[in-house]
Amino acid sequence: MGFRSIIILTSLVGIVFLGCKKTEEETPDFNKGQLLTNVSGQIILPSLNDFDSDLSDLQTSFMNFRNDRTAANLEIVRNDWKKSYLTFQTVKIFDLGPIKNNGFKASTATYPTDTLDIRANISAGSYNLGSAANVDAIGLPALDYLFFQPNALVELQNNEDYLNYVEAVINKMKSESTLVLDQWQGYKATFDASTGTSSTSSFSELVNEFNRDYELAKNAKVGIPIGKKSLGIPMPEYVEARYSGFSFELLDASIKALTKVFNGNSYETSNPGVGFDDYLVHLDKESLKTTINTNFTAIQNKIDTFSSSLEVEIQQNMTGLDELYLLLQQQVVYIKTDMTSAFGVLITYQDNDGD
Amino acid sequence: MMVTKIPRSRISSLLFEEVSIAPLVVFRIIFGALLLFGTLRFIGKGWVEDLYITPKYYFGYLGFEWIKPLPGEFMYIPFILMLIASLGIILGLFYRFSSLTYFICFTYVELLDKSNYLNHYYFVSLICFLMAVVPAHRYFSVDSRLFPSIKSLYTPRWHIGIIKFQLAVVYIFAGIAKINSDWLFQAQPLKTWLQAHHEIPLIGTFFQEDWVAYLFSWFGCFYDLFIVFFLLKSSTRKFAYVFVIIFHLLTWYLFPIGVFPWVMIFSTLIFFSPEFHKNIIRFLMKIFGAYPGKLHLISPPKITVKPMVKALIFVYVILQLIIPFRYVLYPGNLFWNEEGFRFSWRVMLMHKEGHATFYLVDSNTGRESEITNSRFLTRTQEDQMATQPDMILQYAQFLKNYYDGRRLHYGDQIFEIADPAIRAEIYVSLNGRPSQLFVSKEHDLTKLEYNLGHREWIEPFKE
Repeated sequence: MGFRSIIILTSLVGIVFLGCKKTEEETPDFNKGQLLTNVSGQIILPSLNDFDSDLSDLQTSFMNFRNDRTAANLEIVRNDWKKSYLTFQTVKIFDLGPIKNNGFKASTATYPTDTLDIRANISAGSYNLGSAANVDAIGLPALDYLFFQPNALVELQNNEDYLNYVEAVINKMKSESTLVLDQWQGYKATFDASTGTSSTSSFSELVNEFNRDYELAKNAKVGIPIGKKSLGIPMPEYVEARYSGFSFELLDASIKALTKVFNGNSYETSNPGVGFDDYLVHLDKESLKTTINTNFTAIQNKIDTFSSSLEVEIQQNMTGLDELYLLLQQQVVYIKTDMTSAFGVLITYQDNDGD
Repeated sequence: MMVTKIPRSRISSLLFEEVSIAPLVVFRIIFGALLLFGTLRFIGKGWVEDLYITPKYYFGYLGFEWIKPLPGEFMYIPFILMLIASLGIILGLFYRFSSLTYFICFTYVELLDKSNYLNHYYFVSLICFLMAVVPAHRYFSVDSRLFPSIKSLYTPRWHIGIIKFQLAVVYIFAGIAKINSDWLFQAQPLKTWLQAHHEIPLIGTFFQEDWVAYLFSWFGCFYDLFIVFFLLKSSTRKFAYVFVIIFHLLTWYLFPIGVFPWVMIFSTLIFFSPEFHKNIIRFLMKIFGAYPGKLHLISPPKITVKPMVKALIFVYVILQLIIPFRYVLYPGNLFWNEEGFRFSWRVMLMHKEGHATFYLVDSNTGRESEITNSRFLTRTQEDQMATQPDMILQYAQFLKNYYDGRRLHYGDQIFEIADPAIRAEIYVSLNGRPSQLFVSKEHDLTKLEYNLGHREWIEPFKE
């Protein structure tokens, strides 16, 4: 056997393949670069922008309240807070790049908030809100307590230390959000270009963070408060936005945001763009795409059936909550296992050393 | 009936004939350098911390669970020893001690946690073991300067042959493993992995084509099965080596497989002729200004056959040939059940993704809790565990031990956990198929035997 046999062997293999190549239906064109460009341009930046201006509004309405401390003005503050919190449900999916580097997700929305820490800070009158110990005494969940606790109006009208604390919390968030927005504008080009397959590429990070945020919604917004991790004993202290009773709206916004990202729909107009759904269709996995969207709709419909706050529903309608949780649970497998493996994305953060 | 019998003397001369030691010496230097580089890289990437200090639990190997990591930063000790030992191997300084040290430290680390199992780590362990056995330090080494009596230009043929055999085992079994319908007729998992590269300029679009995935799959299979034979034959060797380089550079470029393409590219140089290796040594001597020194032996020494050595070689070879085939003892789908999967050179062969939800069931009240896996496992561990049945059992047992006897306070209630059940619902997707149930919640995993027997409790695989 010599060169000749190798050449024969190689050409034989070649012929087998030319023979195998059959004409097939064209799958729709897709590339990850378009997806990243669409998600960053149509979802990430607009939502960051929106969040930053929501916080501006909150700053303004709060200053307005400080000058004229009426219940009506507090209502405006509360509504601006709600709007910011809803917008954040989109922003928090993207815990990568500048959002991750600045620890923005943790400093904006860690809950349950620690009311004892908040109280201690207020009475001390001086605090370092950037310290690790204060991470659960700041952000939108802290404002949930400060604006909605039973005595909120009275304290906001009379307690200057309380007002100073609120103002410090809002200003911290606002300055961070401006910083992150600013950095993201510069980071967009890097993000859009990072289409590789390594675990640190934008695309891998996006898929992983999408999964993580979905699981966070399932566990932190529903599972933990209804007792799924505590032998079935409900944990109302873990209910998100407990004082405002705003938890279902936040869950609803979170699921809607995830659905938008999955479908690549524009944050502002909901117009369709390139998303994970298109990648699945491109990979001949139309039915998986349909399943995931059907599940998102079922979850959405289920959320709509609850009319009271999560804390009240826990006492009155555990069956309904169990059904909601089951729907959330079933979806995890489709996005984490089927979708992620179809994309050929490594779910681990770690670089690998072989097989 | 015709029986071709190779005369005993022929086997003896095949194994024990004295041949040039040059290929072995060059292999020592090259492999030592790879070990040094690999160890530095491992430390530099922070993996000692991530893989052997951070985890709270380690998935030991059956029968080797007594092997535990050193406390905290002390885990750097074996790696520092490996650095020193790899230098000893390169220089041929206290070579036996160095290669044995590297083998022991490396194998110790590998045995700590099977979530880090890689076929290539197993390969490194085996080669280090073989290096500790063969006298690759008898020429062009510090040892041969210090102890001139060991110096030799010759070495029994099996010293080089056993390393070639080991390389052949890796390639050929990797090739045999590829002869399965997913690989050959679905082009999976390559189809999934290659399409992910569609953004590469110019050639990227090709990776979206089915025929490219098939071409790669079939080429990979042929390559693994036959490359060794082409490397063995002097007339095809150079041509085959070009293929070796192309093949491994391609895998290096496309897949996250770290240093191993380089390990294979450089290790296969051992198939080249003694003359080729002598030239390398002469070249190195020139660079380092070393002089050849006086040689004790001018002509090859007499063949000395040691029956004991012969028997040991025989045992090693037979074990290497049998172990990869042990899977035939198990019923069911090998990729699904992973019984007899490791230590069999099934390299880059499947794409398995799983999602595992574990439950703690309080036996007193019948109440259940979902476990947050990330509390106990690193992401890599969780990812590996979710698709590998033996690790699922180990983790369940760990959870039981953790919760047994614990008092859990939830709200105003207190639960005294005693002899809890651990259940799991696990879904797995294999080679691009839709996910399906892998482990059903009906089993109390702590009541199942963890041994080498067939695992009835894995849900049957549905095509």
